[in-house]
Amino acid sequence: MKARSLLSLAAVALAATSSLAIDFGGLTKGLDTLKKGMDNAKDVAKVAKGAAGIGPEEEKVIGESVALEVIGTYGGLVRDETVMRRVNLVGRALARYSDRPDLDWRFGVLDSDQVNAFSAPGGYVFITRALYEQAPSDDLLAGILAHEIGHITGKHALNIIRRDELMSGGGSLLDKYSGDYREAKSAAGEVDAQLQQFDLGVGKITKALLEKGFDAPTEFKADQTGRDLAKLTGYAPGGLRAALTALQKTAGKQKTFSTHPPLADRLKRLPNDPAPAPEAPAPASDAKDKPAGEAK
Amino acid sequence: MKTPLRPPALLAGLICATALLAFEAGGSAYTKRLETKLLAEPKPLAGAAGKLTYGKKLKVEQVQGQWLRVSDGPTSGWVFAGNLSATAPAEGKGADGLGLDASQTTATAAARGLSPATVEYAGRRNLADARDNLDWLTTQCQAITAEDVSAFLQEKKKGEFQ
Repeated sequence: MKARSLLSLAAVALAATSSLAIDFGGLTKGLDTLKKGMDNAKDVAKVAKGAAGIGPEEEKVIGESVALEVIGTYGGLVRDETVMRRVNLVGRALARYSDRPDLDWRFGVLDSDQVNAFSAPGGYVFITRALYEQAPSDDLLAGILAHEIGHITGKHALNIIRRDELMSGGGSLLDKYSGDYREAKSAAGEVDAQLQQFDLGVGKITKALLEKGFDAPTEFKADQTGRDLAKLTGYAPGGLRAALTALQKTAGKQKTFSTHPPLADRLKRLPNDPAPAPEAPAPASDAKDKPAGEAK
Repeated sequence: MKTPLRPPALLAGLICATALLAFEAGGSAYTKRLETKLLAEPKPLAGAAGKLTYGKKLKVEQVQGQWLRVSDGPTSGWVFAGNLSATAPAEGKGADGLGLDASQTTATAAARGLSPATVEYAGRRNLADARDNLDWLTTQCQAITAEDVSAFLQEKKKGEFQ
């Protein structure tokens, strides 16, 4: 009994550093479970799981929800099957040799003029149409995609949330046990409170990805991981460097990697691999030429 | 005329060397997918010498380019380096003895769409258009099979087909 109390205390203490994970922990069995509400014993189990990490099914729901936000913010996807096939074949070739080969990897092109790329938990990778058009060869495309794969295998988005919660002192956990929270539960219904917490968590990840981006060391790590993964898969290790160098030349003309560290800083840290030999041009995105409604 | 290596260049070179030397004869490697084939020769289309489950710690017996000869007790065979990890998988073990990540992912991975929780999320957040796009992406991605990816690797001479 004493041991169990100590375990519960430890779990609650751990949760104070990772309170958002509690909300995600409740998603393992989907919203049905959430709707059934939580008793204290379940709470402790979720707390323990949250401290240990977010499970794959939870990561899938979080990733899908973040992907929806990314797609919504960036005006939809380029619905060109040739482009989609190329991006997914190159992406999945890389992902096969990544540290998480069994994820459901999905690669999409956002219909945006901004040059940028994003990843969401669970295997979602997005690059914008403007960036896709700057990657005429598979070596360059592989460099860009492998960088984003590095964010997912490193669980960087999920780690940002944990770190954020750590820094905020776990206020939401305290709120949860306060009279106000209980009142809210009975007044508005427990379901709403749980869903609000989940939406808040997804919003937090989305904001971090779309507005702030990862911190510089995390980006540099993804550059290195991506470069190594591209090389292991057989793509030119200098693909990412070549893509960044090309973007450096057009920087200023268009908004480039606004959520990433300066290109010069990234190039300085990447090995001085030679630029890959040019290939035959890749299929161009013809979204701009399509009537509205086809290119969403 | 040779330009002397500057410290950052030296450091970058060191990092690369470290990455390449991740596997060494006598060292360890770990399986990272639900099933990893051991091959009789260091060739992608060689005959099978065995199968390994997720998260197995293996002894690296020999390194030949990007191919490793590994052993798991009395069983040994060749594996492309990209199919193994230098570090133990971070995911925990499931009740069935498989890696939690691999087992949960694989159990539900086949032809699945968006989860019900995500569909509800899209409704709450008025993201109907985005959901339509994500459904389209899911359909497109599911149309590309693992066999398609293998054929692509073979055609482009990537991965174990290098």
